Parts: sequence; C-alpha cells; structure tokens
Amino acid sequence: MSQLAHTVRGVDHVAFPTFDLAGTVAFYRDVLGFPVVHSICAAGWGPEKHPDFIHFFFDIGNNDRLAFFYYFGYEPPQRGVKGDVYARFDDDIPDFFVKSRHLAIHVDSEADLTEYRRRLDHSQWPVELQVQHETIESIYTHDPNGYFVEITRALRPVTPQEDHDANLTVDALVDVVKGPDVSMAALLTRKAELIVERAADWEPAQR
Amino acid sequence: MTQLYMLDIPENTPIVDVADQDPHVTVDKVGPYFRIAADTPIVIDRRATGCRHAVWYSSVAGLVQSRITQWDKDAMRIEPT
Repeated sequence: MSQLAHTVRGVDHVAFPTFDLAGTVAFYRDVLGFPVVHSICAAGWGPEKHPDFIHFFFDIGNNDRLAFFYYFGYEPPQRGVKGDVYARFDDDIPDFFVKSRHLAIHVDSEADLTEYRRRLDHSQWPVELQVQHETIESIYTHDPNGYFVEITRALRPVTPQEDHDANLTVDALVDVVKGPDVSMAALLTRKAELIVERAADWEPAQR
Repeated sequence: MTQLYMLDIPENTPIVDVADQDPHVTVDKVGPYFRIAADTPIVIDRRATGCRHAVWYSSVAGLVQSRITQWDKDAMRIEPT
C-alpha cells in the first residue's frame, strides 16, 4: 500500500474537442441541466498554426467540470466509421474496445438517476442502455460528439474488503503481465497466493 | 483438491451458500474471503444463486491448483488442474 500523502481532490476538469457546438450546448446545458461556469475566448498564437478557439466549461457537480474546445475553421480529417470525433476506428475494431473509453458522472440516488434518464429520454439523445453492474446502476448514451457518457449511482457503499481485494487484484496483475502466461487463470492463481499471504494483515486492519 | 476464493460481500453470499449445499464442499474464511474447497469438482448452479450476470461473472477471487472449466449463464464448474 502506498504511504504517499493523498491530497488531490477529484477531477478539476476533463477536456474534449467538439465540432458540434450547438449540439454540445443543447445536450449538456439544456437537456442535462449542467450550468456553463467558465469560458475562454482565445486567439490562436504560438509557433504552431493554432486556430482561434473557445474553451468552455460545464459544471458537473462537486466543483468538477467538463470542458470543451471549439476551434474556428478546423475540421478533423474524416476517417473510420466508429468512435467519436476525437478517435475514429475502422469497422473491424470491436465495439467493446471502441466503447471502453467513457465519462461516468455520479449521482447520489435512484431518484436522481431516474430524473436524468427522463431528461435524456425526452431529448434527441435518449438512454441507450440501463444496467445494474456488480454494485452500481448506470444509464448510457452518446453525446452529440459521439462521446460515450454514463450516469451512475452506487447500489451500496464500497466495503473495506473490496478495497483490499482491489489492491490484491492490481498487485497480482502487475506480476502476471510480466510472466509468460497473461490470462485470467494465471491472475486468479496469483491472487489466491496473495489472499493467503495478506490474510494476516486483514484482521488487525479492521480493528 | 479443488479450491477457490470468493470475497465476502453481500452479492457473493448466495453463491457461497449454493456451493456449500454440496456435502463434498467445505467453506471457511481466509481474511475477508470465503475459501470453498472439495475433493471433487465444484459445480455451482447460477439460477439457484439468483445472481445477476455482472455479479456472477466477477465472483471468483482466486484459484488454488484449480481451473474453471465452465463459467456461463447456467453454471460454474471448477476442477483440479
């Protein structure tokens, strides 16, 4: 376990380009109700031929922000048939991979999740999927830029043993990917060794 | 010997209970994990557990000299390697 002081405080902002400015504002501000909280109007400058741009931010709660760049006069080269405006892929790339990168926004309750579902379902971007995972329930849609967006609630608090288990998983995986057999079977075998090795650490840690 | 571990969380409890119904199976605790062991292969019927798929397919935490030979919507079968 890391002994480093852990002083960061969540996501300040995460930033994406958009080429559908009106759609992006409609989706995040008008449909989801995320307030616009900051923007920068900047002339292009610097050694690279940088276009003039607008950098603008939506409040996604908890003082965290979702930001976009809109570049004047710049259109990305069109390639691929899958993915979003930032990352395009050919048709032979499987969907599990294309959809792996996504943004998940937290809500506190089932009522809140239902309300965001209602807002999306009354828009051009209805919920595509609602699913209960292991310990969370999520709704998903794609925003006007093709970015995969999830809104999620916890079905229950995360337990201390799940944090313990997560550390064992990551340590076992770090070991396994260095070896000759990189597989789920090898991971579960290495994890069983760590379960036994660290069992003695568990009970005192819970007192 | 067939042996596997499952983390002690509420979602996994029904799986451990179903496994424990087999008279060949013994269950004890190692740290925050259930250790499920038998001299025979261990077979767990998913429908008997009532588990959602997401829980079912992430329930195994460790394997000791054992391998999973079936892990689908019907059952999980673990055998000695």
